[in-house]
Amino acid sequence: MRVVPELNKIACFSPGGGLRLTGIVLAMALVWTLSGCTTSVVVEGSVPTPLVAKIPAQVGVYYSDEFRNYRYQEVIRDSGTWNIDLGSQNLTFFDNLLETLFESVAEIPEPPLTREKMASLDGVFIPRIEKYGFLTPGISGLKFYSASIEYRIALYDKAGQKVGDWNIIGYGKSEGGMFTADEAVNEATVLAIRDGGARIAIELIDQPSVRAWIDTLAPLQPEPTANEAETTPAGASEAVPEA
Amino acid sequence: MACLLAASVSLSGCVSSRIEQSRDATTGIAEGEAMVLLGRASYNEKQTEESFTECIADALNQGSNPIRLIPQEQFKDDLYPWFEPRTAPTSADELGRLFAQPGVKNRIDDANVRYLAWIDGDTITIDSGGSMSCTISSFGGGCFGMSYWEEDASYEASIWDLQSMTSTGQISADATGTSYLAGVVVPIPILARPGNAACKGLATQLRAFITGES
Repeated sequence: MRVVPELNKIACFSPGGGLRLTGIVLAMALVWTLSGCTTSVVVEGSVPTPLVAKIPAQVGVYYSDEFRNYRYQEVIRDSGTWNIDLGSQNLTFFDNLLETLFESVAEIPEPPLTREKMASLDGVFIPRIEKYGFLTPGISGLKFYSASIEYRIALYDKAGQKVGDWNIIGYGKSEGGMFTADEAVNEATVLAIRDGGARIAIELIDQPSVRAWIDTLAPLQPEPTANEAETTPAGASEAVPEA
Repeated sequence: MACLLAASVSLSGCVSSRIEQSRDATTGIAEGEAMVLLGRASYNEKQTEESFTECIADALNQGSNPIRLIPQEQFKDDLYPWFEPRTAPTSADELGRLFAQPGVKNRIDDANVRYLAWIDGDTITIDSGGSMSCTISSFGGGCFGMSYWEEDASYEASIWDLQSMTSTGQISADATGTSYLAGVVVPIPILARPGNAACKGLATQLRAFITGES
């Protein structure tokens, strides 16, 4: 976990006046510093590998630049400006999630893809972050920091037709007492990503449109064994006579 | 001054606690078998404090007959996404469906996890009052007055046997205590720790329950 708290630099100056004036200036500088405090959080946490059955499909995944580098900024009265960088953690999480969820995953450029590029794919998966937000105990009145993240995921078939798109919201919360504020927001955000991922891992395969799409896919050929590879010429297929 | 500080450290308030147990099946744990403690976290305004489950884990790890525990985070990561707050089974009846998922039963068998104890509850302040004011001046300072707060710690452990996929029983711990902060020049805290009392009571009973001593 790496949390980077960062304070705005203060340009201090000596007014050259008496002690009283210096005191006032210092007090004003202190107030300005506290109100102008910026907290930067680079979200980092564990990336568990889902224990789920693979969807027997070869998909391409498109991550937009916005998804890769997602940052959230909010100015909260009494606690200053928050800069939360969740792009990297989110990307790592989705890479791991999709590799487990599908038989094979390849990163692709922005769709639509040419017929040649789609030749080896059964579909295209596009995740987006619609919304992100967090609450501090000062705002919610609860003992926790909480975060929520809304994903919109879309799945397209080989022909470019939409199989479906779904909004999935992940929630996370973290005890304020155990961490500093930035660590608690980091923890709540990691849990929110994890919660959203859990729902995708469990629920995607149960969607009727996804089941219908899976039914249209040709069963994946098993990898040839070492003996078969030796006896079968590369690229050659053996005709099986019908009974 | 030193005496007052020493007194403030050593004073502790009274706590009354009650432990109750309900057993549904016989239990026992073989050498090498492990248990997992999981805090219930639902998405409302309450959540079992992580410090409470850690307190119970510490208590179960100690003593002449420690119980092997799998860390909560490791268990959740190994079985992701099946033990997340919104996906975890809510009753032992759901274990059959969960174990039918590919890899889940094998993963639990590999870790030799025999029991799963769900810890649910929290500590809340139920009453508070009094007043205390502190002043500071060029001649010195001090605090005068008295304030108090009463806390209630209420927790329940539901124990599931993962081998038989049944619920084996529940243990509940309730503790209440009132803490005081008396201002006699220096503030003197007299702290009651009902959460700590509930933890120790629950851990002792849980150990006896799992090993089949109670």
